[in-house]
Amino acid sequence: MKKRIIAMLLLVVMIATACLTLTSCGEEEDDRLHITFYHTMGENLRKVLNEYVKQFEALYPEYKIDHEQIGGYDDVRDQIATEITAGKQPNIAYCYPDHVALYNLALAVKTLDGYIDSKETVTRADGSTEILGLTDEQKADFIQAYYEEGRQFGDGLMYTMPLSKSTEVLYYNKTFFDVAKAIYTSDVELDVNGKPTPVYETDAEGNVLKDDKGNNVIAYEKDANGEYILDANGAKIPKTNPNPNKGNSMYDLFIPTDWDEMKLICQRIIAIENDRLTEKQKTAEGVTFITDENGYKIYVDKDGKKIAQVIPLGYDSESNWFITMCEQMGLPYTSATGEKFLFNTADHHAFVEEFREWYVNGYVTTQEIHGAYTSTLFTAKSGTKSYMSIGSSAGATHQRPSKDASGNYPFDVGIASIPQYNEEAPKVISQGPSLCIFEASQEEMKASWLFVKFLCTNVQFQADFSRESGYVPVIKSVDTDPIYSDFLANANGGDNIAALSVKVCLEQEDYYYTSPAFNGSSKARDEVGKLIQSCFKISKEVSDVPAEIKKLFDKAISECKYHAQ
Amino acid sequence: MAEVLKKVKHGVWDVFCVEWIWKRFCVDNVYKKFDKWKGWLYLSPAIILLLIFTVWPIFNTVRMAFLEDYNSLLANRPGGWEFEVGFGNFAKVVQYGEFTTCLTNTLLLCVLTVPLSTILALIIAVCLNSIKFLSRFIQTIFFLPYVTNSIAIGMVFAAMFSVVGNFDSGLVDTYGIINNVLGWFGADPIDWMGTGSYTIGEFPWPSYVVMVIYIVWNALPFKILILLGGLQSVNKQYYEAAKVDGTSRTRVFTRITVPLLSPMIAYVVITGFIGGFKEYSSIVGVFGDGMGPIGDAGSLNTMVGFIYDALPQQQLGRASAAALILFGIIFIVTMINLAVSKKKTHY
Amino acid sequence: MSENNVNLQAEDIEVKAEARETTEVASPTLNTMAERDMAKITARQKVVKVLVKVALYAFLLTMALIVLFPFYWMLISSVKSLEEYNLAAPTLFPQEFHFDNYTKGFEIAQLDVLFLNTVYVGIVSTALSLVITVISAFAFARLEFKGKNALFAALLATMMIPGELFTITNYQTINNFLGLNSLGRELGSDFLKSIGNWSNTYTVLIIPFLVSVFYIYLLRQNFMQIPNELYLAAKVDGTSDIKYLWKVMIPLALPTIISITILKMMGAWNSYVWPRLVANDDAHKLITNGLRSASFVDEATNMTHYPQQMAAVAIVSLPLFLVFLFLRKYIMKGVSRSGIKG
Repeated sequence: MKKRIIAMLLLVVMIATACLTLTSCGEEEDDRLHITFYHTMGENLRKVLNEYVKQFEALYPEYKIDHEQIGGYDDVRDQIATEITAGKQPNIAYCYPDHVALYNLALAVKTLDGYIDSKETVTRADGSTEILGLTDEQKADFIQAYYEEGRQFGDGLMYTMPLSKSTEVLYYNKTFFDVAKAIYTSDVELDVNGKPTPVYETDAEGNVLKDDKGNNVIAYEKDANGEYILDANGAKIPKTNPNPNKGNSMYDLFIPTDWDEMKLICQRIIAIENDRLTEKQKTAEGVTFITDENGYKIYVDKDGKKIAQVIPLGYDSESNWFITMCEQMGLPYTSATGEKFLFNTADHHAFVEEFREWYVNGYVTTQEIHGAYTSTLFTAKSGTKSYMSIGSSAGATHQRPSKDASGNYPFDVGIASIPQYNEEAPKVISQGPSLCIFEASQEEMKASWLFVKFLCTNVQFQADFSRESGYVPVIKSVDTDPIYSDFLANANGGDNIAALSVKVCLEQEDYYYTSPAFNGSSKARDEVGKLIQSCFKISKEVSDVPAEIKKLFDKAISECKYHAQ
Repeated sequence: MAEVLKKVKHGVWDVFCVEWIWKRFCVDNVYKKFDKWKGWLYLSPAIILLLIFTVWPIFNTVRMAFLEDYNSLLANRPGGWEFEVGFGNFAKVVQYGEFTTCLTNTLLLCVLTVPLSTILALIIAVCLNSIKFLSRFIQTIFFLPYVTNSIAIGMVFAAMFSVVGNFDSGLVDTYGIINNVLGWFGADPIDWMGTGSYTIGEFPWPSYVVMVIYIVWNALPFKILILLGGLQSVNKQYYEAAKVDGTSRTRVFTRITVPLLSPMIAYVVITGFIGGFKEYSSIVGVFGDGMGPIGDAGSLNTMVGFIYDALPQQQLGRASAAALILFGIIFIVTMINLAVSKKKTHY
Repeated sequence: MSENNVNLQAEDIEVKAEARETTEVASPTLNTMAERDMAKITARQKVVKVLVKVALYAFLLTMALIVLFPFYWMLISSVKSLEEYNLAAPTLFPQEFHFDNYTKGFEIAQLDVLFLNTVYVGIVSTALSLVITVISAFAFARLEFKGKNALFAALLATMMIPGELFTITNYQTINNFLGLNSLGRELGSDFLKSIGNWSNTYTVLIIPFLVSVFYIYLLRQNFMQIPNELYLAAKVDGTSDIKYLWKVMIPLALPTIISITILKMMGAWNSYVWPRLVANDDAHKLITNGLRSASFVDEATNMTHYPQQMAAVAIVSLPLFLVFLFLRKYIMKGVSRSGIKG
C-alpha cells in the first residue's frame, strides 16, 4: 500500500514533467509540409502577409506557412543563432547581411543560385505551371542594386533575396517651416499659425465684426492704403500691424540639403523658439540671454538653464549616422578583406567632434541619448519638441502626429532627402529586410524557395506591402499596378504619408550604398553607434576633447577586433 | 534468480513500482536487500535533475573553456569543426577591454558594499538589541527591503535619482528628488543616472554612488537579521560582568560584542562577497539592460553580465572561460575569508 | 478605495501581531537586570542613560525612514500626475490623486498575463520542488544506504559553484534536451523535436531549478532533530515510510517546510536572468522581466511616465508585502535559519 503511494507519487512527478514538456506541442497535426517563417512584421503587415500566405497555400495546398513575429531584428538574429545550435532554426527568416554572416558560421544558410537557375517545372494546384527558377523577365524586373545585395558575401554566391527596402529620410514639420517662411516674407505681422495679428472676429466676407478684445467694432473702413478700425475716439487703427520680423534672417527657414545648411537651420529654429517666448518668460527674475554665432538670442534662467524647450533635430540611428557620414565623405568604414575596421582616422574624429558640438549646443539628439525614438520628440504636443527628424523611410506613419479632437493633424509633415556632405556624390543607406532560406530537407527548402519567390516577385504583394509599410518595393513592375500608382499620386504629409516617403525614396534610388557584411560587421555597427553616443556625451569639463575622442575610437576598434577573432 | 533480479533493479521500470511488487510478492530477505538502495530510489529525481542541470554543466563548461574560440554555431557545422585545445579563451578574455571593466566593477562594488553594509548592519543590530519599546516594529521595517523584487525597486531608485530632461543642454524639467534634497544642503545637481557629471571612459562615479546605495539598502535586512539573531543568543553574563567593571560602551562593543559576534560577522561577510561577485540583476533593475547610463552603456557591467552577453552570439568558449575565472575568484576570496575568520573569530 | 481598505486591515494586523510579539519576547532577565541597575545608578547616570536612549531611537528611526523612503516615494509618485511628478521642486505629498495611473500601468506592462504566468510557474515549481526536497531530505536523514555520505558531500560541494557557470550549458541543454531535438531532426520526428526543445515554454522555467541542494540540506538538518526512535518504532509497527513522513516528520518540520515554500515562491516572483534568457516571448514572460522591458513613455510628452511606472512597480510589489505581513515569522525564520547553516 504505502509503497504504491510512493511509486504513485514518483509517477505523478514524472508525468507532470512530461505533461509540461508536451504542452509545447499541443498543436494539431496535419500532413501538409510546414514551413516556418520568422519576421518582425507588426499587426498591419501581418494582415497583408496572411492574405498572400492564403493565396500561396491555395496554389500549393501541400505546403503550410507558419509565420511568427519575433520582436525586432536583433531578436530574430539571437533566436535563430540559438536555434541553429539545436538544429531547430526556421525555414525562412527576415535577415540583414551581417545576420547571414553569423548564421554561416554553421553553414546554415542555403545558397540560392541553384534555385534561381533551375529550369524545373512545378505544377500548381490549379493546373498551371511555373518554372522553379527565376525567368529572365523576373530577374530583369528586380531593381538591380537590391538584387545584387544578395551576393555581398565575398564568394559571389547568392544568399538572400530582397523583400522590401527602405532608407533614411528627413522628416520636417512643414507647417512650422511654412509659417516661418511666411513671417520672413509677409508685410503684416503674423502669429505662430501664420494668421495676421491681431485676430478679429469677421463675417463671411472678411468684414470685421469684433476687435481683438471682443468689443463690437464701432466702424470699419477700407481704403487704398489698407483696412482700418475706428476706435471709440474715432482714431483710425490699422487692421494689421506691420511685420517686425520681415527679412529677419532667423525666420528664413528652408529644407537643408547639406550639413552646413542643417546647422544653420537648427540655429534658426532655436532662435525662433527663443523669439517666441513670452515677455514674462524673457524678463523673469534672473533671466539673461546669450547670443550665438549668428547673433540670435538664447534665453537662460538664473541657473544657466535654457528656457526654450527645443532640440531642432532628432537622428534616430547613431550607427546609420556614422556609417552614412563615412560614405558621404568618402572615408573608409569596414572591409571584408584585409584590415577589417578602418574607421579610426583623424577625419572620422573630426566629423564626430563637429557633431558633438551640435549636441552640446542642443541642436540634435539621438534615439539612445533621448531614450526613445526621436519621432516622439517630433510629434510631441508638449515638453521638448523637435522640428526635424531623420529616421527610417519605413517609419513614416510614426513621424505623423496623432489627430486632435476635431480630427485634424496638428501639423503637416514634409519629407526630403537627408543632408549630404558632397552634393555631387549623394549617399543614403540601403536598409530593409531580405529573406534567407535555411538548410533543411530538400522538400522543405524547395517549398521555402517557392514562397520566397512568390513574395519577392508578386506585383500585388509588393504593392500592398509597400502601401501598408512605407517600404519601397524591390521590383520595377509595381508601377503597372493601378492601385499602387494611385497610392503614389495621392501622397501627402497627412493620411498618405507612407506614399510620400516611398516617393522620396524612389527619387533617390541611385544614392543607395551598403556596407560589407562579414562576421563582426554587426559588432562594428554597434560600436560606431556607441561611439556617437559616448563622444557626444563627453563631459563639458573635459578640456582636451579630441584626445578623449581618439581614446574612445581606439577602444571601439579594439572591441571590434576582439569580436572578429 | 538473484542475477535476474539485479538486472531488473537497474531498469527504468522498477523506479516506479518494483518496490510495490516486491512488498507484495517477494520474500522478506529480498525486501531487506531492496531496503539498502531505497535511499537511492528516493533520491533519484533529485539526482537525475542534478546530473543534467548541475553536474554535466560543470564538465561541459570546463570542456568549452579549453577549446579555442569555441562557438556553438561553428560546432554545429555539418561535419563538425575541430577546435584546438588550449588556453586561448582565457587569454583573450583577460585581454579584452570590456572584461577588465566588468572585473573591476565587480570587485569594486564588492569592496565598497560589503564592509559598508556589514558595519551599518552591525550598528543597527546592536542598537536594536539594546531597545525594547518598538523593537519588533523597527526590526520589521528594516527587514522590508528583503521582500522586494530587486528589479522593481531598482526602478524606484532609478526614478529617485533620475534627472528628467536633458542634463547636458540644460533643458531640464526636474533634477529629481535626490538632487532636490541635496540642494537643500547647497549641493549642485548631479546627473546620477546619466553621463553629465563625469567623463565617459573614466570612472563613472555617479552611477557607482547610486549602485552602492541601492546594493547596501538591499543587503541590510539579511545582515541585520543574522547579526541580531546572533546578539540575542549571546550570553548576557558577559555584559553584566562588564557593567560591574564599569567598562565603557565603546569598549563593550569592541571587546565583547564584536568578538562574540565574529562567527556571524564572518558569515555575513562571506555570503556578502559571494553574492557581490554575482551582482547583476540589481544593476539591471536600476540601469536596465544597458548596464550603465545611457551614452556609456556597459560601464557598470559585471562578470555575470559579461557571461550573459556572450550567450546569444554563441561565443560559449569565452563565456565558459569567464565563468571559470569568476568561480576561481569566488573560491579564492572565500578561502581567504575563511582563513582570516578562523584566525579572528573567537568562539 | 479598496486599496485603502487593504492597507488599513494590514496595519491592524500589524499592530496586533506587534502587541503579541512584544509580550512574548520581553525577556525576564533583562527586566530584573534593569531593576537591579536602577537601585545603583545616580541621577547623573540616569540623565546619560535617557540621552543615550534618545540618541538610539533617533538613530534607528532615521535609518528606518531612510530604508522606508523608496517605498514612500514609490507610493506617492504612483498617484501623481506626470506634470506634478516633473515639477522642478518635487512635492513630498501628491496634490491630486491620480489612481488611473494604476489601471494604465497595469495595462501598459500587461500585468495580467505576467501575473498568471508567474503564479503558474511559481505554484508548479514550488509544489514539485517540495516533493523532491522532502523525499530527498528524508532519504538523507533516515535511510541507511551505501554511498550516502559521499553523495551528501558531493551535493554540498555543488553549492560552492556559482549558478552562472551552469547557465551556459543549461542554455544549450534546454534547446536540445538530451540531444532529442537533433535526433528528432535526423529522424524527421516532430514529436522528438518538440520534446527536445524547451525554449519559450513553461517547462524551461520550472524544471532546471527544481532541486535546491540548500533546501534539501536545511530540511535534512530539521529531520535529523526528530528522534530516530520514532522512525524505528514506526518501522516495527509496519508503518510505511510515506505514512511516517506524512504523519510525523512533515508536521514536526512544518515551519521549515513553510519557510522553504515561501522562499521558493518569492524566488519565482523575483527571478529575472534565466526567464529572460530562455522564455522572453510574450506568452511566457514572467513578471520581473515584463516589468523591466515595458515602455512607460508617455505619448503626448514623450517622457518616461514615472507615475505609471511606479504604479506598476507598486502592483508588482504588493503580493510580496502581503505575504510578508501575514507570514513574517516564517520568512524571517527561514532566512535566519539559512544563516545558521555555517
